[in-house]
Amino acid sequence: VKEFVALSTRDRIRAIRDLAMSFEEKKHIRWVLTDKQLNLYCYTCNKLHSQSLRRCGYSIRSARQTLELWQGIMKEIGGKFGTSVLSYFLFLKWLLMFNIFSFLINFGFITIPLLVYDPSPNIPPNVSFRGLEILTGAGYFNYTVMYYGGYSNETLIGLVDYNMQLAYFFTIAVYMVLCGIALIFSMASSFKENYVLADTVSNSAWQLLCSWDFSITNERAVRQRKNNLRVQLKESLSERAQRELLTLSEKLKHFGVHLGSWLLSTGLAVGCGASIYYLYAANWSLLQEAETLLVPFVVSLMNLVVPLFYSLFNKFEHYSSLGRQIYALVVRNVLLKMSILAVLCYYWMNVVAEKFSCWESMVGQALYRLVIVDFLFLMLGSFFGEFLSNVIGTRLLPRLGVPEFDVARNVLELIYAQTLAWIGIYFSPLLPAIQILKFFILFYLKKVSLTQNCQPPRRTGRAAQMQTIFIALLFFPFFVGALSIVAYTAWRLTPSEQCGPFRGLNNTFSVVGVWIDDLQEIPASQWVVWIYQNVIRSEIFYFLITLIIIVIIYIFWQVTQGRKQLIGQLRQQIVNVSVLHP
Amino acid sequence: MGTTASQLGKDLLSEYQELTFLTKQEILLAHKRFTELLTKDEKDLPNTRVSMERVLTLPELKSNPFRKRICYVFSTSEQKDGSLTFEDFLDLLSAFSDSATLEIKSHYAFRIFDFDDDGTLDCGDLEKLVNCLTGETDETRLTTEEMRQLINNILEESDIDKDGTVNLSEFQHVISRSPDFVSSFKIVL
Repeated sequence: VKEFVALSTRDRIRAIRDLAMSFEEKKHIRWVLTDKQLNLYCYTCNKLHSQSLRRCGYSIRSARQTLELWQGIMKEIGGKFGTSVLSYFLFLKWLLMFNIFSFLINFGFITIPLLVYDPSPNIPPNVSFRGLEILTGAGYFNYTVMYYGGYSNETLIGLVDYNMQLAYFFTIAVYMVLCGIALIFSMASSFKENYVLADTVSNSAWQLLCSWDFSITNERAVRQRKNNLRVQLKESLSERAQRELLTLSEKLKHFGVHLGSWLLSTGLAVGCGASIYYLYAANWSLLQEAETLLVPFVVSLMNLVVPLFYSLFNKFEHYSSLGRQIYALVVRNVLLKMSILAVLCYYWMNVVAEKFSCWESMVGQALYRLVIVDFLFLMLGSFFGEFLSNVIGTRLLPRLGVPEFDVARNVLELIYAQTLAWIGIYFSPLLPAIQILKFFILFYLKKVSLTQNCQPPRRTGRAAQMQTIFIALLFFPFFVGALSIVAYTAWRLTPSEQCGPFRGLNNTFSVVGVWIDDLQEIPASQWVVWIYQNVIRSEIFYFLITLIIIVIIYIFWQVTQGRKQLIGQLRQQIVNVSVLHP
Repeated sequence: MGTTASQLGKDLLSEYQELTFLTKQEILLAHKRFTELLTKDEKDLPNTRVSMERVLTLPELKSNPFRKRICYVFSTSEQKDGSLTFEDFLDLLSAFSDSATLEIKSHYAFRIFDFDDDGTLDCGDLEKLVNCLTGETDETRLTTEEMRQLINNILEESDIDKDGTVNLSEFQHVISRSPDFVSSFKIVL
């Protein structure tokens, strides 16, 4: 208690709160300490000031809690289904925040200045709004601020001179960089908590027992959890006993089955990609607008059907642990989605960019269609995956039982949807608005489907590790892929001549070059010019930075190795000490 | 101090905010739910103690397998009968809240799992723990052989000083390596 006197008020409060004592004792300690402080220094003035600051902090905390979106629904889902299902909804909410931020800065910095300056879009006279535009995104929408083509390349003269080119370029660049930083930070902190500091053996009995979910309030759910826990404990006991019993021929058989299914799944992924490419190459005609929906339809159909096919492989393959099974499923789904996206981007960058005059708007429309059709298929998938499975499982084939909510598959669908939005930001700045609507509706749809159709998951545990993997997947390969597509477009491809903010330039990056040339005439901003010419454009700088980072990484790696050795030594010391002093 | 008056005073509220991990809304909600448990006469008395049976009618605790142990651990009564005052109730919610630290949670988890209150988790405690979580009836229990094997596995994994029991530091060490613990050791009203 004596050491508490020396701390500042805020630290003291935190220290008292951290004591694991009953309320009476904590009150007593606090009273004793406040009494002592009376004699030390200016009691009244200090106490009032810090107390009002503290009260302000508390009210901010309470306000933040009330404003949080969907708090009540999250608590309900967590109480009935546990933390692994809840992690899907938390992930959805987190992605929604990205899109809200993107929409706000795009709308604020790019669209609003243009609307203020020139409120009426220049639509040719024979085009009017028909209902079909909501699905295809072409037609009337093509000439509005929805797509890249609707933005001008002039410097808007109003209250201030607003350079649209620089605004467009820097808004998108800054958003991507901030996204990347946010993803890296959350991935690193999640990795540290859930992989480095945690035990990767999650089917250990102790972990299962200690992770009993105290927030489950439903009687039936508790009974089910107890059953599941018992089954898991028995399995972990028998697994330990059985681990050495596989003979050589059985191992070879397992290896053959694994190899076969991996080849099959990779072949499926490549096949899907190739078929999309041929479909695109054969069918790109704008004569009938409804035809343009064919490719997104086929893409979404593949994304819906092939993962279910992959889940079937589980019947034949036997993985040594559930974790490996989930990892294999996730890797296969990622391969499928990456191959489809790679083929689409390749087609857009190489063929569409050469053929059409206002090609960025074309790509923007294609992405819009993909997003909309993906949304429709997500709704269909919810219907087939959950509602029909429930009907089949309860009425037609009672052996199957009520379905579980497949967290991995649903999270991968979310990641795919978000990647489409990230690729699309450059070509269609208002695409995040559609994405916000989509995620909003998806949240309520999934919640209703979950509560009506699904049962809580049978195997508990691994929620935190799966979350780390999902954030890591979101960053690499999906975000990095989207960033490289946008960077490639800005660097290598020539912007179209007739439309958009970058018309007439060789590539988009030359906007910065032009701006720097303008700045050279203003003597006050010579430092910006110096930074650009000597830091950003010089190769030696990047080389030196890379070298320094590699050296630092090597030093940290050696420190980690040393710490691992230290941990082993300390453990041995504890055992030795307890043997000597029983 | 009149903690069961129908309104909580501002000073009292700020004192509770300082000494627990709960926010103002959570404290007020806890007060509301606690006063619902009291009879009409008890509402005017200060510092009423509510018996364990009435506390266990709360829906958050009703189906919890550890409900009785939770009441015993957080109760400050001399008879050790598991009855709670409002301040004990706040202590309970604070330890199970979102913002409680890992040390507090693991400390109280240890005390809840320690069925015989002797400060360590020995084989008897572990056996009662497993039975609590797998079921009460004879069909749902593990066999004696399985139980022995399970307890051996647990001790092999967590007993660092090899004395046959798990003490508080070993328990906290295992808990710190389990990333799901913090999110599962939670009760929210």
